[in-house]
Amino acid sequence: MSVRPGSLPVPGPRLQRTTSADTVACPACGRRFVGDRFERALRVCSSCGRHARVPATLRAQQIADRGTLDIVPITVADRDPLGFDDGVPYPQRVAQARAETGNDEVFTVARAGVGDVPAVLACMDFDFMGGSLGSAAGEAFAQACELAVAERRALIAVCTSGGARMQEGIASLAQMARCSVGTAQVANAGLPYVTVLADPCFGGVTASFATQADVIIAEPGARIGFAGGRVIEQATHDRLPEGFQTAEFLLAHGMVDMVVDRRALRSVLVRLLGAYGAHTS
Amino acid sequence: MTTVAPTTELAERERDAFARVELARHPSRPRALQVIARAFSDFTEQRGDRLFGDDRAVVGGPARLDGAWVMVIGQEKGVDAMSRAVHNFGMPHPEGYRKQQRLMRIAEKFGLPVVFLIDTPAAHPGVGAEERGQAWAIAESLTATLQLRVPVVSAVLSEGGSGGALALGLGDRVLAWENAVYTVAPPETCAAILYRDAGQRARAALAMRPGVDTAYELGLVDELVPEPWPGAHEHPDVAIAALRGALVRNLAELKDVDVETLLAQRLDRYRRAGG
Repeated sequence: MSVRPGSLPVPGPRLQRTTSADTVACPACGRRFVGDRFERALRVCSSCGRHARVPATLRAQQIADRGTLDIVPITVADRDPLGFDDGVPYPQRVAQARAETGNDEVFTVARAGVGDVPAVLACMDFDFMGGSLGSAAGEAFAQACELAVAERRALIAVCTSGGARMQEGIASLAQMARCSVGTAQVANAGLPYVTVLADPCFGGVTASFATQADVIIAEPGARIGFAGGRVIEQATHDRLPEGFQTAEFLLAHGMVDMVVDRRALRSVLVRLLGAYGAHTS
Repeated sequence: MTTVAPTTELAERERDAFARVELARHPSRPRALQVIARAFSDFTEQRGDRLFGDDRAVVGGPARLDGAWVMVIGQEKGVDAMSRAVHNFGMPHPEGYRKQQRLMRIAEKFGLPVVFLIDTPAAHPGVGAEERGQAWAIAESLTATLQLRVPVVSAVLSEGGSGGALALGLGDRVLAWENAVYTVAPPETCAAILYRDAGQRARAALAMRPGVDTAYELGLVDELVPEPWPGAHEHPDVAIAALRGALVRNLAELKDVDVETLLAQRLDRYRRAGG
């Protein structure tokens, strides 16, 4: 266990500096940031407030107490239950996602201290096949839950996903059940479970572990729901209300506990685990 | 290397795959209320979620099966134009899932086993459903079912689509009529996601293998209930009798299992679900 003693909040992680003079642009307003300034601002635009997408490993670094992050390797055998081929065979699509993201699968799982409270972080990567929930992701999340129970840690899941992984068909649907077993075990063990919903979060992820938490935090502007807006428009010809399915819309409808700016996220998580982390060890 | 089938043969296979979906959607297949009327007795419907409204896509209440009281909760598609509108084509809103949870709590309180009957293309995609937490309601149904301290048997009648079906799809035993389909999403939605064209639903149907035999192979369904040729739509009474027999037998097997064992087995089963 790598949690340090002491009652003061541990300072946040130091993001890697780059010496590159390249600039990156805010995906919303186009404002340009020199070097690593955008990364150091946690990928939040200082001009328009847009919360840009964060890869899973970087997300874990942003949340963990400095020096406590311990990535847990999760190896899951590749599965192709349907022999799915929609022009490109499914295993080839997975291989492509691995090459593009450098990740094995959707979830990065890590042990970490969060304000000195031992926690398991399960962070999703939207860039890996749209964060879709396949059997490997389901297994990773289930193992994250079991790790939390075995070592009596809080569970924090950062959720971002388009929903089920269509290429795994019905096996993908079953992952909603598998992940729900995990969250039930964490709840039965009396351990706190907090989710952070990042843009976008839809389908079977929202309809299972993303919303089975003690506390649901949404990031500003994140689009969250079950069915996507386009599907709803096509199916019902309803006009979508202003701000439909945004974090703020869901807050107003009582579906999330709070909308938290990413630059304040860590301190909110520290406070919540402080309040609810009594049964961790 | 994969071998590419001649175009005509591929088109034929796509047509066959989608024909399975169409058979499962056949308007004459027995619906949940018909199954309840013919296989159960003394059904006493309870309505409303006590929070917002009554969703007629989900019907439920106590009923007797082979003499013993159970809580039966089903998705109802309707049988004609008017009843389809009333039951919203079997597509539940959050209120339907919250009514389900309410009835499950009553079943647990009085020790009644729960029987789910699944028949839905998907949970309703709509503005109101999203505003009132469709995803939250489904997620809660999953958690509630996994922890329910009475036996649960679920049966896929005809169409099981998406998380909207899975909310009633967890159980100690899951049965399905052999001509039913069980999919992660309706083939139309799957095509819209994969090919950005809902019109390619036949292509999606072939790729996703929608028949319940796939769910059976993957362990999400335990037993396929036979239908008389050419299907339950032609001989509903025979099909319903077979389903009734399977429900009675499975409930009898679960009746004397200690509740802690039941819960441990249920969690273990879904811990391994889908490989």
